[in-house]
Amino acid sequence: MASAARESASRTGAKASLRRARRTQTVVLFAVANQMFAIAAGAVQEIRSTDSLGGAAIEIDQIEVSKVRHTVQRGGRTYFVVNAGTHFGLPVTRPTLVLILRHQRIAVLIDRIERMAEISGVHPLPLAFSGDERRWYCGLAQVDDLVIPVIQPDGFLTEEEVRALDLAANGTPLESRIEEGAGSA
Amino acid sequence: MTQTAQSAVSSFVILQIGERRLALPAEIVAELAPPVRVHAFPHDTPSILGVIVRRGHIVPVYDAASALGAFASSAQRFFLIARRRFGKAREFGAIPVNGDCELTTGELQPPAADRPSCVSGMLQCGAEAIEVFDLDALMSSGSATEPPESAEARQ
Repeated sequence: MASAARESASRTGAKASLRRARRTQTVVLFAVANQMFAIAAGAVQEIRSTDSLGGAAIEIDQIEVSKVRHTVQRGGRTYFVVNAGTHFGLPVTRPTLVLILRHQRIAVLIDRIERMAEISGVHPLPLAFSGDERRWYCGLAQVDDLVIPVIQPDGFLTEEEVRALDLAANGTPLESRIEEGAGSA
Repeated sequence: MTQTAQSAVSSFVILQIGERRLALPAEIVAELAPPVRVHAFPHDTPSILGVIVRRGHIVPVYDAASALGAFASSAQRFFLIARRRFGKAREFGAIPVNGDCELTTGELQPPAADRPSCVSGMLQCGAEAIEVFDLDALMSSGSATEPPESAEARQ
């Protein structure tokens, strides 16, 4: 009887912790020009100092996408380095860190990492917001007594911008090179 | 009171934004909330100041003063929480107000021909004629709406 009760309690506890795990999300809180943002920890592959990447950064000659001035090579992939301050229209700062994003060809220049945090959910962006922020953010999170936008990792560059950057960095868009490669194989 | 007269009389909330006094239909007004912190973050939508947290919900704060072409006053005391329509969806928004709000009833008169489409009518309140605004039209117009006196003076 007691063992059955213990087993039941254990099952209930496991379900509760599973529910908690489903509800909560780990985010990295970072700052750009004193504005705080959150990004899902799972969306960040690597955090490097700008100093450590200095030699690996290659300047790209283009004016179409002003928030991107460089690319960096990491693990055989090319990442477009997006200045988050320019992207969000914030005052100019001197970024010290680069977030290299997972599953994206994007690295993001930021000022500093505040800390990691557990958030209990992401509130959808109110419908009243109708501008580019609908692409920038996947919603808003309450952390302590603050409301912080949660970054949409693929919102830093549009497909058009990526095409333009590919063209500037390599002379041809990536998809054209893939097609050419497929054709010649 | 006849059936027609009953349907013509409606309730309105009169509010003060900067130096402008205007009215909104009472049916869209939910409550008058105390001042709380406005959380601002980068965005690209005109006429939004940020968001507040009200009863556990995140509520956008409208820069109604700019939309009205009124000077925002530092004497803001409350947030008027009102409902807006977005297609079939509805959402609450907060309007910073800097004076006491009053609930009144009256008959909505048609607006002057030269008033913008966000002015849905006029409300006679004693000797004062107050413009009644369509909040959806006002906040989506994105351009300053001059008070009737200024419009007349310009002509």
